[in-house]
Amino acid sequence: MIRHLITLIWNKKKAHTLLIVEMTASFLVLFGLSSLIIYNLGNYRQPLGFTYDRVWAINLGNNEDTVDVAAKTEAIRQRLQTYPGIEVVSRMSDNSPFSAYYNSSSVARGRTQIQAQYYTADEQFAQVLSIPLRAGRWYRNVDSVGRYQPVIINRAAQAQLFGTDDAVGKFLSPDTDSKPGWRVVGVIDRFKGRGEFSVDEPLMIELLNHRNQDHRTLLVRVKPGADASLEAQLVRDLTAMVNGWSVDVSYLSESRRSRLQFTLIPMLIASVVSGFLLINVALGLFGVLNVSITRRRGEIGLRRALGATTAHVSWQIVGEMWVLATFALVIGLLVAGQFPLLNAFGLRAGVYLLAMATSSLIVYALVTVCALYPSRQAATIQPAVALHDD
Amino acid sequence: MLLNYLTIAWKVLLRHPFYTFITLFGISLTLTVLMLLTAFLDHAIGAHYPETRRDRTLYVERMSLEDSAQTRSTNGPLSFRFLSQYTKNLSQAEQVTVFSTTRRSSAFSGTQRIMVDIRFTDVPFWQVAQFAFLEGRPYNAQDLASNRSVVVITDGFKRAYFGSNTDSVVGQPVTIENVRYTVVGVVRGVPPTRLFTTSDLYFPYTTPKSNYQSSGWRGDYQAMLLARTAADRPRLKAEFQGRMAQVPMPVVQYGFKYNIMTVYSEPFLDNYLNAILNGNSGLRYTFLGLLTFLVLMLVGLPAVNLVSLNVGRMLERASEIGVRKAFGAPVRSLLWQFIIENIFVTLLGGVIALLLTSMLLLLINQSGWIPYADLTINGLVFLVSLLIALLFGLLSGVLPALRMARLNIISALRAS
Repeated sequence: MIRHLITLIWNKKKAHTLLIVEMTASFLVLFGLSSLIIYNLGNYRQPLGFTYDRVWAINLGNNEDTVDVAAKTEAIRQRLQTYPGIEVVSRMSDNSPFSAYYNSSSVARGRTQIQAQYYTADEQFAQVLSIPLRAGRWYRNVDSVGRYQPVIINRAAQAQLFGTDDAVGKFLSPDTDSKPGWRVVGVIDRFKGRGEFSVDEPLMIELLNHRNQDHRTLLVRVKPGADASLEAQLVRDLTAMVNGWSVDVSYLSESRRSRLQFTLIPMLIASVVSGFLLINVALGLFGVLNVSITRRRGEIGLRRALGATTAHVSWQIVGEMWVLATFALVIGLLVAGQFPLLNAFGLRAGVYLLAMATSSLIVYALVTVCALYPSRQAATIQPAVALHDD
Repeated sequence: MLLNYLTIAWKVLLRHPFYTFITLFGISLTLTVLMLLTAFLDHAIGAHYPETRRDRTLYVERMSLEDSAQTRSTNGPLSFRFLSQYTKNLSQAEQVTVFSTTRRSSAFSGTQRIMVDIRFTDVPFWQVAQFAFLEGRPYNAQDLASNRSVVVITDGFKRAYFGSNTDSVVGQPVTIENVRYTVVGVVRGVPPTRLFTTSDLYFPYTTPKSNYQSSGWRGDYQAMLLARTAADRPRLKAEFQGRMAQVPMPVVQYGFKYNIMTVYSEPFLDNYLNAILNGNSGLRYTFLGLLTFLVLMLVGLPAVNLVSLNVGRMLERASEIGVRKAFGAPVRSLLWQFIIENIFVTLLGGVIALLLTSMLLLLINQSGWIPYADLTINGLVFLVSLLIALLFGLLSGVLPALRMARLNIISALRAS
């Protein structure tokens, strides 16, 4: 039966070229979309590694003032600690959680060198964001007097640099040729500062040097119930403290929402595009089936006259479409198969395989739904009427 | 006769409601998607409020600096100092405005926080961009000379800050970052997609924290150069480019020395297209490939599907054609019948699409998804796509019908 269907379709492959091309194209677009969705969902399921409620990021802009920038920033930090509405304050580099900034640095141990996300923050960082520690301890501000700068790394960095060895107490250098400058004091599980959809990549948090004037972002965790009036007061007080500076307060919960859109909007656009493609494939299928059933009335009538039931006729039409879809999928899978083989975009092969399976299923489901109505229409053909003309 | 044909067409449509639905759905969906897409494109690149003179305007958006060894580069908006020194006295320009990019800030009204975008501009900004002033006036040279703390706000900010039942707010104070400013004017807001003119609050560039005195050539400022006529624009561009060639090099920026400077003044769209088309070839091919794919998908696919649906509908009518021929209908009148029928179906799809698009656009405009959105149906695009649909309808419906009409009566009658 299946061989018969394949022969039937193969003999009319020219008439069906267009449909096959359409199905292949929509399979590939679906494949792209589902890879994107599966990849992002996989990332989304990993926890953030910190909490962001009640945390505000205060960005200080020194504008044209270049005198004592570091000292003024430090004075602001100390002032913030005195507010009764504020629980903890931490000073960090400009790549605060959910912000648009991204800093990275090379990190090496022996002959292994990797690229890691790079944060600079003081000792209160873990308290403000409640980052749980996995091994070792969190650094203290007094650690900065030592010869090595204390750093915290995440498990991804530990795995790439140390394998299964313990990392705490070991030394790291900026690249394979230079002397060690960092000492690992603690290991955290993960810290996905760029939002839920970001990858859990290797990262390193270094103790902030208070005399550095480039790090002018302050994270504060406010007490429950704090509202815009506290924020207004902060902005008023701080701008009065340092003349000519700008103070920009953003709530992490709001920054998080806008960061999510960066991932959601491309997915939405891709969904609309593939939706449009699928609808078109459906329309094409209806058209082709309508033509072929009209043309093949005689053939169907003959089958009915020879004893085929309505179910047989229906299944033949649906089966033919499945064979057609399989032709298209074989071509599509050949193309899609290159992605895991070439390790394109650095995604895991599992993501691609799952995406292939999902898209194939969707194409088959679509074909079945589209073939059902015309196949029933074909099954109602009366042999007497159909064969009457010939 | 016409009425007769239309009645037949209507009956034929009703005979197979399912396929009729599919055909109409295909036509109207495609037209709707095309019109929505062009509405968005037109919104993004067309000359709309307040940049209604885009055809005469050149945009100076960014500068890139590179050192001679090409190891270090910086790329972005320019400084106020550079722009006012080199663009203010171009002889081919009617007006030149220098303005900052927007920056986030917040205003407080009671316990309510209002997130706002703020922008610093010079006085000609209000002439180059054609803002609609609902209240008051733009700030002028006297305001800047006497260093008054003034601000122009949008109607949206007025509602958020002063409440919706306030009459006129000209002369009222607004406090931003601890400084009190006096409102001199209220303008109709600009959608955030118009990157050069959108903002919630507009301040004179002499306002504190505008960074207009920063040294160096890179900064937060951009410029619009307005030519006297659209035809004058290439001359203005040539003059600007000549001026840039005379800028003394090298320059020290952020502590590094740069020898190569690139600045362009371009028509609005070229700003973005050139970045893609003159970029590396990978980006260019991706862009062109994506464009081809989109056009094929949007126009090609639906057209082909329409053809196959139409052919199916016509095949069923072989006996009807045979009967009409047997009773002496000439080929010409048969042809007319099918032409009118196809126009009827296509127009029906067109009307549905028009309704659907206006509904969707109304929804998008009202939803606040794009603040101050002013998306409209582009009549030309609608007509062109309707014509394309008609053309394919005729090709796919009338040609098979014509072929059948030419058959001899016996075989036409037998065919079904």
